[in-house]
Amino acid sequence: MSLLEVADLSVAYATKNSPPTHAVRNVSFSMAEGECVGLLGESGCGKSTLGTALLRLLDRPARITGGTIRFDGTDITALDENALRPLRWRALSTVFQSSMNSLNPVLTVEAQFRDMFRTHTDMTSGEIRRRTAELLEMVLIDPSYMRFHPHELSGGMKQRVALALALALRPKLVVLDEPTTGLDVVVQKSIMDSVRTLQREQGFAVLLISHDLGTVMEIADRVMVMYAGSVVESRPAGEMLHPYSRGLLGSYADPRAETVDVTYIPGRPPDLSRFQDGCLFVDRCPVALPKCATEKPPLAPVGDGLVACHVAPSTKADFADSTFVRSVRAVAEAPPVLEVTGVHKTYTRRRTSVTAVDDVSFALRRGRVTALVGQSGSGKSTIAKLLTGIERPDTGTVMFGDVPVHRLRGRAMRRYRKDVQLVFQDPFAALNPVRTVRQTLVRPLRNHLGLSEKDARARLESLVDTVGLAPAFLDRYPHQLSGGQRQRVVVARALAPEPSILIADEPISMLDVSIRAEIVELLDRLVHHRDLAMLYITHDLLSARLLADEVLVLNKGTVVEDGPTIEVIRNAQAPYTKLLLDALPNPPR
Amino acid sequence: MTVELLTKPSRVPQWLRILWANKKSRVGVVLLSVFVLTAVFAPVLAPYDPESTDFAAALPASGDHWLGTTQQGQDVFSQLIHGARTSLLVGLVAGVFSTIIALLIGMTAGYLRGWVDEFLSGLTNLALVIPVLPLMITLAAYAPVRGVWLIIFVISVTGWAYGAKIKRAQIITLRTRDYVTAAKLAGDGPMRIVFREIMPNMTSLVVVGFMGAATAAIGAEAGLEFLGLGDPTTISWGTMLYWADNGGALLTGQWPWLIAPGLALTMLVTAMTLINFGVDALSNPALREE
Ligand SMILES: Nc1ncnc2c1ncn2[C@@H]1O[C@H](COP(=O)(O)OP(=O)(O)OP(=O)(O)O)[C@@H](O)[C@H]1O
Ligand code: SF4
Ligand SMILES: [Mg+2]
Repeated sequence: MSLLEVADLSVAYATKNSPPTHAVRNVSFSMAEGECVGLLGESGCGKSTLGTALLRLLDRPARITGGTIRFDGTDITALDENALRPLRWRALSTVFQSSMNSLNPVLTVEAQFRDMFRTHTDMTSGEIRRRTAELLEMVLIDPSYMRFHPHELSGGMKQRVALALALALRPKLVVLDEPTTGLDVVVQKSIMDSVRTLQREQGFAVLLISHDLGTVMEIADRVMVMYAGSVVESRPAGEMLHPYSRGLLGSYADPRAETVDVTYIPGRPPDLSRFQDGCLFVDRCPVALPKCATEKPPLAPVGDGLVACHVAPSTKADFADSTFVRSVRAVAEAPPVLEVTGVHKTYTRRRTSVTAVDDVSFALRRGRVTALVGQSGSGKSTIAKLLTGIERPDTGTVMFGDVPVHRLRGRAMRRYRKDVQLVFQDPFAALNPVRTVRQTLVRPLRNHLGLSEKDARARLESLVDTVGLAPAFLDRYPHQLSGGQRQRVVVARALAPEPSILIADEPISMLDVSIRAEIVELLDRLVHHRDLAMLYITHDLLSARLLADEVLVLNKGTVVEDGPTIEVIRNAQAPYTKLLLDALPNPPR
Repeated sequence: MTVELLTKPSRVPQWLRILWANKKSRVGVVLLSVFVLTAVFAPVLAPYDPESTDFAAALPASGDHWLGTTQQGQDVFSQLIHGARTSLLVGLVAGVFSTIIALLIGMTAGYLRGWVDEFLSGLTNLALVIPVLPLMITLAAYAPVRGVWLIIFVISVTGWAYGAKIKRAQIITLRTRDYVTAAKLAGDGPMRIVFREIMPNMTSLVVVGFMGAATAAIGAEAGLEFLGLGDPTTISWGTMLYWADNGGALLTGQWPWLIAPGLALTMLVTAMTLINFGVDALSNPALREE
């Protein structure tokens, strides 16, 4: 018998002012005891909603509108809170992205474990102490940390504590919803390793929801892919058959390979408040047939799994039109446009000083992309601020030709900013929500190029065209655009003053994996067509490999390794670079 | 800036549509429009000249004088209708002035920070701890001139501090947003960033602030008039209350004379409060999707 059996489950969010969002649609699947199932899909496809529904933790305005959930033989679809309480934590538990922030800030780690054990068991104080120490050791935290408060632990440690708490009562099923998103790659890797080891030892089942394709493919026994609220494929990790799954997997590649190619899925997911006939993926599918628009494909067995597609058994879709290929390429020597020499930056806050950048030197050249790779806190964004003149170095120089950037102010600084533009990390925060695309893009044209309102407006169409947007988008507000479209607008704004240097600070990290390659391709094209110098800041080696000609690896404010991208990635020398490379997942291919 | 924001023609229909979408604010809008129309068309609507003393004094309500007459023989109903003009004028003008002061001080302090902020925040805090009512009364009592404009001035210079504090707090959270940095890189100067990039994201705060200031101004005006600190010859709800009280309306049993202006004030304040319920959607386009 399966541990979990979900049949025909539907969940809708019904808010007062808008039509209901049908976030989960007739989903059926089961999980065996001890099985590790990965759940993949783009943002907003209903993964978290499904995970929360299984735990019966849905809150208004979400509601289960149909179907059943059977857990360990009991139908829990309609159980009330009293009946659920004994199941929670003991049998079903969860860790989600913000779990680390849900630890009680005024209690020590030990007290949190004690409270939990007291509520759910009748263990003695001695037993509780012993078990707490054992649990912390399990997640690789020294038991002496027990007496600390959450704010004295790093993000990764807090997340481990949350994991230990979730596992404390030996549950049978643990739902992990993006448990490591936002943490450093090396920390992510170690947390996922702990999960995997513990799961083997203790035999609990895991539903792992994640954007990180590589990790899911490496860890999960079986992968389920969701699209627009429905499960479209379910099979053991490996080659997938559904065109959507193939599109998703195409966005991951091993950066160490000689030639790296990644694909993206054009278009965006459908509106979940509407029902439509036929396959929901039809608008984005490269191999759609006429009947796909009218006949809904059932989730049917093919090979060693299930797939919902009319053509999947016979045709293997690929996204040839939306591929980005990067092989090893020779770069011409060019004179530097921006030279950074020996910069230092120390921040002082409340009498403690942190050295963010320590003696860093490099140069940016036209037509070339230089990647700055490192974990959070390694000083990457500080370097971006020094180059754009938002911050000044304590010592060292930033020279733009013969202009000393580190000394500019006022009008001269504004003139310099015409030449150096920034692409922001979060496209949701970088656009003013009350201004249309047109209003946003007119500003740099008027200010930096000195165009009249009329001339500036006349330029807009060709400007948005260079980033692949139709003129119709000019009158949209940011909330009417998808993440990828917003990021295109952000890029367009940066290009408007015709800069010679583009600084891109994690420009794709907030985007869905399925559309990242699209932005990478755009940036790559712009660098070469416009002969730009680009500094590409990232923590992700894959995108650095795709975009950059050379890499600087930054650790704690110092450059520990630099050189041509392919050299650094395939032939790393510095121990820190090796650590980053080891954290890359190794999915079966 | 507020004036421009409130009256920019292209904006008005959208404003109304957004407010209309909320049931409570719809009621408020209807109610307020009734007051505004009454004020605008007062000379047409009022049956008699409000200042004429041609009638018998202290008449009870009747078909000729719906709310009776005053001690001096003026028609109470006509006074009530003309009184709407004073109240709305004071609310609008004093509301706009104190909002402008609050915006200039709060936004400058919050955006520039540093010593400018320290100075302006000090000023704001000082203005906050000074007891407003006694200050108002003192200012009004010692001023060499009397009348509505004096009252508007007194209310404006005493009523901005709270709004300034709230606006400062809001801009401090908004000034480090990426889109503000982006505007700097796009070459925009500080004035433009504050008033064109940041302020539109505070529309609801500004409008709520304006409504609050206007409501308080309407109340303060009535209060000062009632205390006899205005010009007792202007026609307003405050002076009506003043005269009704002085004329012993309570003793002579002229209830309508006493109750009508109070009720009108209450209704006007209620209308403004109801409108506030719909204001949130103004600065959040995501909330106003049809
Ligand atoms: N509280 C809510 N009210 C209304 N709609 C909601 C709410 N929460 C989620 N939704 C909608 O339900 C759908 C599914 O959301 P869900 O959070 O399950 O997606 P997800 O696959 O977990 O996405 P992500 O990968 O970004 O975490 C989306 O269309 C979302 O907009
Ligand atoms: S059913 Fe048709 S549209 Fe849907 S994924 Fe398969 S081929 Fe594409
Ligand atoms: Mg989610």
